[in-house]
Amino acid sequence: MADISRRQLFAGAAGVALTGSLVACGSSGSSSPSTSSTQAAGQPKRGGNFRLGVTGGGAKDIMDGQNIITKPDQARLVTAFETLLLFDENYQLTTNGLAESVTQDTPKQYTIKLRQGIEFQNGKTMTADDVVYSLQRIGTKANGLTGYAATATMDIAGIKKLDTYTVRLPLKTPDATVPQTLGSYTFTIVPTGYKAYPAPQNGTGAYKLKSFSPGQQSVHERNPNYWRSGQPYFDTVTIIDFSSPTAQVNGLLGGQIDAMTDVPAGQVKVLQGQNVGVLVSKTGGWLPICMAVDMPPFDDVRVRQAMRLIVDRKGMLEQVNSGYGFIGNDLYAPFDPGYDHSLPQRQQDIAQAKSLLKAAGHANLSVDLHTTDGAAGMVDTATVFANQASAAGVKINVINDPNYYGNQYLKLAFSIDFWGTRAYLNQVQQGSLPNSPYNETHWPPKSGTGSNFVSLYNQALATTDAAKRNQIMQEMQQAEYNAGGYIIPFFGGLIDGYTAKVKGLKPSKGTLNLDSFGHGYRTIWFG
Amino acid sequence: MNRFRPRGVWGFILRRLLLGILVLILVSVLVFLATQALPGDPARAILGRNANPASLAALRHQLHLDRPVADQYLTWVTGLLHGNLGTSLEAQEPVSTLLAPKLVNSAVLVVLAAVLSIPLSIAIGAWAALKREKVFDQSSSNLMLLLAALPEFVVALVLVILFATTVFHVLPAISTVPPGSRPWNNWVALVLPTITLVIAVAPYVSRIMRASMIEVLESDYVEMARLKGLPERTVLIRHALPNALGPVFQVIALNLAYLAGGIIIVEFVFNYSGIGGATAEAVVNHDLPVIQALAMLLAAVYVVVNLLADVATILVTPKLRTRL
Amino acid sequence: MSQVSDVAIPDAEVALSPVRGASLLRRSLRLWRTRIGVALVGVIVLLAIIGPYVAPYGPSTPVGAPNADPGGKAVLGTDYLGQDVLSRVLYGGGSILVMAVIATALGLIGGAAIGLVAAYSRNALDDVLMRGMDVIMALPSILLALVAVAIVGPRAWVIVAAIALTTAPRVARVARGAAQPVVERDFIAASEAMGVPRWRILSGELLPNTLGPLMVEASLRLTYSIGLIAGLAYLGLSPNVNGANWGTMIKQNQLVLVVQPWGAVAPIIAIALLTMGTGLIGDGIARTAAGIDRARGEE
Repeated sequence: MADISRRQLFAGAAGVALTGSLVACGSSGSSSPSTSSTQAAGQPKRGGNFRLGVTGGGAKDIMDGQNIITKPDQARLVTAFETLLLFDENYQLTTNGLAESVTQDTPKQYTIKLRQGIEFQNGKTMTADDVVYSLQRIGTKANGLTGYAATATMDIAGIKKLDTYTVRLPLKTPDATVPQTLGSYTFTIVPTGYKAYPAPQNGTGAYKLKSFSPGQQSVHERNPNYWRSGQPYFDTVTIIDFSSPTAQVNGLLGGQIDAMTDVPAGQVKVLQGQNVGVLVSKTGGWLPICMAVDMPPFDDVRVRQAMRLIVDRKGMLEQVNSGYGFIGNDLYAPFDPGYDHSLPQRQQDIAQAKSLLKAAGHANLSVDLHTTDGAAGMVDTATVFANQASAAGVKINVINDPNYYGNQYLKLAFSIDFWGTRAYLNQVQQGSLPNSPYNETHWPPKSGTGSNFVSLYNQALATTDAAKRNQIMQEMQQAEYNAGGYIIPFFGGLIDGYTAKVKGLKPSKGTLNLDSFGHGYRTIWFG
Repeated sequence: MNRFRPRGVWGFILRRLLLGILVLILVSVLVFLATQALPGDPARAILGRNANPASLAALRHQLHLDRPVADQYLTWVTGLLHGNLGTSLEAQEPVSTLLAPKLVNSAVLVVLAAVLSIPLSIAIGAWAALKREKVFDQSSSNLMLLLAALPEFVVALVLVILFATTVFHVLPAISTVPPGSRPWNNWVALVLPTITLVIAVAPYVSRIMRASMIEVLESDYVEMARLKGLPERTVLIRHALPNALGPVFQVIALNLAYLAGGIIIVEFVFNYSGIGGATAEAVVNHDLPVIQALAMLLAAVYVVVNLLADVATILVTPKLRTRL
Repeated sequence: MSQVSDVAIPDAEVALSPVRGASLLRRSLRLWRTRIGVALVGVIVLLAIIGPYVAPYGPSTPVGAPNADPGGKAVLGTDYLGQDVLSRVLYGGGSILVMAVIATALGLIGGAAIGLVAAYSRNALDDVLMRGMDVIMALPSILLALVAVAIVGPRAWVIVAAIALTTAPRVARVARGAAQPVVERDFIAASEAMGVPRWRILSGELLPNTLGPLMVEASLRLTYSIGLIAGLAYLGLSPNVNGANWGTMIKQNQLVLVVQPWGAVAPIIAIALLTMGTGLIGDGIARTAAGIDRARGEE
């Protein structure tokens, strides 16, 4: 078998024909614990009830191994469900998950080999049947799961079990990004016949669901039968919904919870002064200001360019995130090897912005900007941007709508949204194609720069040569850089808090908070 | 009391009861119509990111949103009378199930606050009346006045600053009650919210008590009792105090009702899992059934409490206010 | 809250000339508490009015790192977005004051009218009006305001209308309670016999005699309105969430109390001083009126 180091996987190693494959190096067929997170802080100890405080949830909380709406849902999903492949702390794919290997036999076919001897929490062994059911569940449009769009290239009906532990995954069109999709956290493996809560929850993960009150809290019990021997360390995990960061931080300081997600950047000082740990992860998460390229006044590319020149990126980073993070250049996926570093960093240029607006006939533009308290910094970004815009004669009226995601989401001309870390092509597929589930900017435009975006994307998917693929990606990024609808001022990262007795947390570049919630609460313990 | 017709106490009670029911009916109509006018589509708000025309239509039918308004109103009211408070749009669960534990939590808080504040303020008021114009009276009156003027959330936050976050660190700054547990499992967390509510209510009760007590102390029958040679203690406890309590009942009742509104902000500041917090959340989420249910609940509490207060006042006063 | 004045103020004994209102105010200023109240209110109102003109920075200008300690450019430190706390406090009172004053005034006028008419009519109209008031009072004011805001959004006129609506019934009760004894008086019957039109009796005879309790109630209601508007802002419901507003500032900076308290403490102090001031004024008027009445009662 081709021995490819997992770290080289997407590093653009030239001429590697099987870049679509992932094979575990020298691993046996039996279960083996994750080796990518060796504990530096002493020996792990068993015991305790780990209490996590999260915001953003409510009575709408769900428990579905393959679906999330809010951050509390993310926190709960990873207690019990796992994916075939895992991203490590540097957002590189590894084969430390449920799959031993994922190989791209031909551009339109993958073979998945499962790790053997893994059981679901009810004792049933995980086999290829379950993988087939899991992928088909996600790939069925009527189920309405967030991962559905990512299955666009897969031939869902044609997924076949080859033997007890092998699955064949045929594709409709070539796609080299399937492994990344299989590593995303909602592509978990559930048992055949699985249904979301309130049906009984049964996954391969380290904790079993004991009780769940949506909007309030959930309790998860240690799975004594967990396949990674020695893990997990906690006896129980309790996930508590909070209505505001204020309550969360007070809870953390007061000892009612052991960790919290999304510490507002300005509060880091508060925690540090109280002997509470702060986990700052330089992730690729971003809060874009979205301009719909097909709705006035943003259908004129000059207006979009002007708005991008108004932003004082460093000032925004300082104000919204107290400097935690790094500034952006209106392009996403900064950790992707194909990210175009050659494009010049945009700076604030009010004069140029004004002249562009004037040329477009919008000298005294007045426009509504919609936002909500969906993620830390969304409202603040809008506020600060509105203030910055007044220098260019643009009047921005910030509208904070609690029902943002229910009302006009994806139909607004000007809005704020939030995204986690993703590789470039995955992000395009989620948000920059006409059939993407969350395309706020309605990119690509029908004419002008970027109108060939979709065909470029399809080419990139089909290209197995990494270097060539990067080139195509850069062409795509250039179009977005010049004419796109996103203003991406900075990448703020994730800031989480935890008490001194929580050990094992490490900063991570991944999508999920708290080092992917301590890798499903497995690699953290009370010390 | 000006309309005290010769039909007697029972007649009065009956009339007040009928009036109360009328008020509740009117409030229910108002509440229903008001929440019907909420903008935005509740069906879309529920389905959120997953909305499409087919699912929206199905949900609207399921929620009876496609029926005429009068029809929906009658369905709702009939349901209320049968104990069915509707189904929360957010949680897709019966409102009664959702609110029951929160109601208990809020009741605990309110009862605790009442149990502490009422004797405290009666004592303060009576003592101030007895030692009128002296130091205690002056200083307590001024303190009560200033405390009464402050908005509750300011009082709450000052307490948080003093005892939880900045000056001392002896009490928790939040008071969440996890589901399945009861408020008294973590009684330390009840301290600050309770004190806040006590501070919100005590000033009024103590001032009424003081005024009422003064009036009574200067009244004829107390004078008579003294002239009769009764010891001062008997005069105070058997003659003055019971008469002074008359209007106090009404004020206590009204303040209990006032607490029902006060807990909205206080529970929010302390993240307490009661119906106050549920109200704020329901308003933010445009959760019609929950808003309607809570509004009717609070209105019913108010009407009942008012009725009890009036009845208590009637019962207490005429019996004792006979000429000696 | 209005029950306080219901019991604390004994009935007026004699019909006085219409200048009573002004003289009551003047007399109440003799009390030290009224003076302190006026001073507090005066300072805060002045702060709110001229604040924007003397503020060192704009309300949204970043002057440093977020939550910085006092010093350098920011005398009271910076807030959660790096804006100057002092400047935001100076900008933050205007909208609260304006909305509170207008709402209270509207509620006063409406409530007094209803209460006086109810007291004067002494018949079914009285019952209808007061039961109408009961219906409005069946809901706590804050709940009414929350539902109104939920329906239309946190616009200024909605908040003002909602607060005026909840103010009116309480004022009506006080007005009615104060007017009822006056209505029984001979000189009212005499005026009616003389053919004085009803509205003149209402405005010329009844109103002046109820001014005492009404003024006390006005200050109570104003205190409450300020608290309610600031409270709504604290919950996140104010017309301009991005502008400076004391209530909103408290909400935004509550978390950093531990490290940079001024962002929340400064507006808390402002609101506290203001409400205590209006409370003192009201109490001063109440005591003066009670003193006058007691003096007259003993004549």
